[in-house]
Amino acid sequence: MNKPLLFPLLTLLVCPAFLPAQSKHPDLSGYWELRFDSRNVPPASLIAPATPAARAAQVKHDADAIRWCHFFGVPYMMAWSPVEIVQNTNGKEIAITSPVRTPARHIYTDGRPHVSPETFDPTSAGNSIGHWEGDTLVVDTIGFSDEGILAIPGGGSRTATSHLMERFRLLNGGQRLSVVFTWEDPKMYAKPHTYEFRYYRAPPGTEAREFDCNASDAERAKFLTSVPGK
Amino acid sequence: MNQRFSSASVKRGAGAALLALALGASGSVLLAQSAAPGKVPDLSGFWERRDDVGGGNFGGILEKIVPKASLTPEVVKANQETAARQAQGEVVAFGSKWCLSNLYPFFMQHSAAWDLFQTQTEIMQAAEVHTFPRHIYLDGRKHPSPARLVPTVNGHSIGHWEGDTLVVDTVGFVGGGGTPGGGRVGKNTHLTERFKLIDGGKKLSVVSTWEDPSIYLKPHTYELQYYKSDPGTYAFEETCHADDPKQSGSVVAPGQKY
Repeated sequence: MNKPLLFPLLTLLVCPAFLPAQSKHPDLSGYWELRFDSRNVPPASLIAPATPAARAAQVKHDADAIRWCHFFGVPYMMAWSPVEIVQNTNGKEIAITSPVRTPARHIYTDGRPHVSPETFDPTSAGNSIGHWEGDTLVVDTIGFSDEGILAIPGGGSRTATSHLMERFRLLNGGQRLSVVFTWEDPKMYAKPHTYEFRYYRAPPGTEAREFDCNASDAERAKFLTSVPGK
Repeated sequence: MNQRFSSASVKRGAGAALLALALGASGSVLLAQSAAPGKVPDLSGFWERRDDVGGGNFGGILEKIVPKASLTPEVVKANQETAARQAQGEVVAFGSKWCLSNLYPFFMQHSAAWDLFQTQTEIMQAAEVHTFPRHIYLDGRKHPSPARLVPTVNGHSIGHWEGDTLVVDTVGFVGGGGTPGGGRVGKNTHLTERFKLIDGGKKLSVVSTWEDPSIYLKPHTYELQYYKSDPGTYAFEETCHADDPKQSGSVVAPGQKY
């Protein structure tokens, strides 16, 4: 290598990375809305019907999460509008945010495996890794905590042994987004529980919202814990 | 700073041109990409404070690296009154007890890493601490008119690139937060930030300038630097339970009103 070439080559090597051109994968970025006809949720096949006591305990757990402003987590945050997907242009990570007060989902698409359960502290959003199968983003999530709202659409609830697979795919020229959710949990479901949401792309200029939560608001607390109408 | 920036850009451009000439066709492709209009640095990834004076917020560390804000006499007086109430044992802040959302710029001064996501039209910062994601729009939109602006924890942020520097303009805070250096954030406070990669992308410099004539006698400017977290870094969740007696007991003295 001659010296005139060495300098510019080294200059390039030490330069900060630049934002790459858009990756070859579909760009899911944007705000996505759920409408009245966005959900196709069949009833789940539970291993055993929840006892009244177990059902009441789960309802109380989720009601407390709202009353006390806990993080809501997955799958609850996916059922709000609009959710936003931010797909890193460098292809290494995808985020999903929601207007409810819950952490963003981090979906690592850089080829890493799940964090070892030995070291991962379970979270309300779990530990998500993703890869592309053609034009479909496949997201694999484990490592859920009991934080937040546990109810799963169609029946059942998130547990420490839940395993969620999601398939994200654009439809209608990118104006719709299909997300097929499949939950597996040996302690909850007799067979995989699958349902689909089809989001609508929100109008240009749509912005994030913050549905903040104040557990010290006495009037709010009274409303949430009182008998309706009294 | 601008001169250094210009010089660095020229070196990169000249280097890319020479390399392309030397490499022939394949190099031309590289040159075309490097010189493409709109080519901007990739800021994405996890960033964390590891200040040379120590990490975190506690023990006055920030005071060692952030100049003290020049506050209006009214704010100085209010601060003194608050300090006097605290000295008498009164708890004047309940954010921790009630797990209220941390107001911007709290997560930027915290030691916990935050994750930056980047597209051509938006940057989003996801923090580990108890707050909402921060959205910075790069698509040319303006701030909403005051009549339509909804105050939020992180404010309304728009950004643009000036060379390799991301300039972010934020208004619309809910108010009530504080800044490093003893400043305050009000509902009419205006923030300008300049994000720039340094040390070959290993660090990120963020220069913040807060302006609000009801709070500051002059713009309050400081710089914080962040280290790029190791590859494989993953996000934590900082949970907070206001219904946990330990959470309440950590900050509220017996006999408090709340």
